[in-house]
Amino acid sequence: MSLAMATENENLKIVQVWHGGKFQKRLQEMGIYKDSQIKVIKNDIPGPLIVDVKGSRLILGRGQAQKIMVEGE
Amino acid sequence: MDKIRIALAGNPNVGKSTLFNRWTGMRQHVGNWPGKTVEKKEGTFKHDQYEMEVVDLPGNYSLTAYSVEEVVSRDYIVDEKPDVIVNVIDAANIERNLYLTVQMMELGANLVLALNMNKFAREKGLKINKKQLSQLLGVPVIEIEAVDETGSEELLKSIVKISKSPNIVLDRLEYGNEVSEHIQQVKEIIDEDISGMDAPSSWIALKLLEDDPEITKKIEESGNGQRVLKSVKKMQRHFNDVFDDDADAAITDARYGFIAGLVSESVKKPKIDKVTKSDLIDRIVTHKYLGIPIFLLIMWLTFQITFTLGDPLGGYIEGALGWLGETVAASMGEGFLTSFIVDGIIGGVGGVLVFVPLIFILFLILSILEDSGYLARAAFVMDRFMHKLVGLHGKSFIPMILGFGCAVPGIMATRTLENEKDRLLTMLIVPFMSCSARLPVYALLVAAFFSAYQGWVIFSLYLLGIVVAIIMAAIFKKTIFKGMSAPFVMELPPYRLPTVKGALIHMWERGALFLKKAGTIILALSVVIWALSSLPVGVEYASQESVTGQIGTVLSPIFAPLGFGEWQATVAIIYGFLAKEVVVSTFGTLYGIGEDGGGEEAATEEAPAGESTSVEQANETSAEASAEEASAEEETAPEEDQGFIAAMQELFTPLSAYAYMVFILLYIPCMATLATIKRETNSWKWPGFAAVYTFVVAYVVSFVVYQGGLLMGFA
Repeated sequence: MSLAMATENENLKIVQVWHGGKFQKRLQEMGIYKDSQIKVIKNDIPGPLIVDVKGSRLILGRGQAQKIMVEGE
Repeated sequence: MDKIRIALAGNPNVGKSTLFNRWTGMRQHVGNWPGKTVEKKEGTFKHDQYEMEVVDLPGNYSLTAYSVEEVVSRDYIVDEKPDVIVNVIDAANIERNLYLTVQMMELGANLVLALNMNKFAREKGLKINKKQLSQLLGVPVIEIEAVDETGSEELLKSIVKISKSPNIVLDRLEYGNEVSEHIQQVKEIIDEDISGMDAPSSWIALKLLEDDPEITKKIEESGNGQRVLKSVKKMQRHFNDVFDDDADAAITDARYGFIAGLVSESVKKPKIDKVTKSDLIDRIVTHKYLGIPIFLLIMWLTFQITFTLGDPLGGYIEGALGWLGETVAASMGEGFLTSFIVDGIIGGVGGVLVFVPLIFILFLILSILEDSGYLARAAFVMDRFMHKLVGLHGKSFIPMILGFGCAVPGIMATRTLENEKDRLLTMLIVPFMSCSARLPVYALLVAAFFSAYQGWVIFSLYLLGIVVAIIMAAIFKKTIFKGMSAPFVMELPPYRLPTVKGALIHMWERGALFLKKAGTIILALSVVIWALSSLPVGVEYASQESVTGQIGTVLSPIFAPLGFGEWQATVAIIYGFLAKEVVVSTFGTLYGIGEDGGGEEAATEEAPAGESTSVEQANETSAEASAEEASAEEETAPEEDQGFIAAMQELFTPLSAYAYMVFILLYIPCMATLATIKRETNSWKWPGFAAVYTFVVAYVVSFVVYQGGLLMGFA
């Protein structure tokens, strides 16, 4: 499922990131990459998400979250 | 005295600037990195017998070649080889923060880790074993609190020590067999073929495998790179086959793997994540329905506080200037030079200086909002709204909010937007945000016409600016900037209490630009306005016969449909292009405000002869109308100057005054703003476009306000 559909406060693992180039790089250095852990803190539709990655909080646009595939642990 | 050159590095929002400010205080210099539109901060301080030279590197998450800031940082580390790099780390986010640390280690940098925000880490339940971490990395790890003295001595001692005996960090990195092996192979070829590189060859190998465009280019240019590049290509293919991943991703994984190992050995995490205070505040502040009202409330309070505190302070400055004008006039007698100093300089520059407290307080509040972490929440809250209406993401909202202070830092803040189209679009709408230079104009007219509704009238103008900005953005997004908006990801830093020193320095950095403007552009313009108002020789000062008056008279019919077809209003608009606060000083010069201390008597005495009777009458009515204000004369605020107010009441009606404020809000951005757009876009096309389109928008909106108002029966 995509990250945008995830429920709040569930520990998830990223299985695929459908972003490329520069933005993929940016996500990597902020801690979002294949096989890394992620947790959705806030998921109010519509609007961006707040996620927890390695203990830091990130704002992630909804469109971007739709292209990140996750699975529950 | 021995010199130690220190570079401060770290992720954004880790307290790097706080440490920098505490070390260097006011002994800092802010400029740009050569040839780049990236801010460079340098400063010095003394410690024992050492002269410390500090450079604050831009906040980065990484050292790729994908952003200018990152290139600036890594070039500095490679080319300038600072004696020590202090890597400030947010202890609460240690894992992500170490990603940058590892990349600096790859460069062979001589590091000291400064763990900051330990209180917050403890609140989250993290226990960091500094000794263990230090041993694993081979660099000193010092616990500090950038906001106070905690760990300060120890950090400085460590810096001195490390500057003498550099760390050897390269062999500490463990990337797993496969990755390490490939790096080693490429490194060997580099060592054989290419000499004289500044950076460690293992780093170059790593960067080549990552497909770093800058380093690849450098190797190509070296002339001996064929063999290296060929083997890199081969290995990248190998990665694709073996890992089903590109080399780049495999290296990222390897770095995070190494960090995960470090963290598991030196950091104890709680089993269940603790809920921090920051989370609790965010539940309310970023709430689905409460978020936007809270944002509006905070903005409204910002302007309320600015006015409540700034007005009386401005009154003191106004009093002092009045005294100065009178003293000069009394001691020098009447004459050309007296007129030059009193009408030209004190009237022009003084008219603007009176608003300095207002502007500084606004900058201070904006700094506090930024430093506390609230602006990032505002970006989050506004994203939903911006996305739907405009197609821009919430990050674009931060430059817009900074634009309330001044469009110049606002436009510079668009650098954080990755997408070029979004960036241009944001630059074009930032000038609609009502900057602090426009405040003096409102303050003056509101005091003359709307004193009972002061707050609301000004608030309505700010809101109008935002609404126009959003409408224009939506139009642009559907026409000239068609296309996908940039992906949105940004860090949400935890809330923190801004430090007094940090907020003051922040305020000073921005406010000083304004003072500089008052001392240069506005001073020069005041002289020009004064000269044009005194010529041709023999005319009554600032009368309709003067050059200024003639220009205004010729152009004024253009503005008649908007309700302000008088030549003085037109002259103020023309000069206001040079800097918006000049609108006030133009009126100041035209009506000779600088020389009176706020008293009625002075106003009537010194008003231009042609206007004096009417001014006198108006003055009386206004004095009646606001008797209590007049009685508190000694401490009146600048815009309560009775002579000035009377002049405005003569010139405008309430409706035309409102239409005039709308025009001043929206029309052509000031010279400094256009110059900034030119610098940031590197072409005259965009500033030219901005000037033309904002003029059209201002004309149309003011026309609608004035004519619509007339139809509805306002006057």
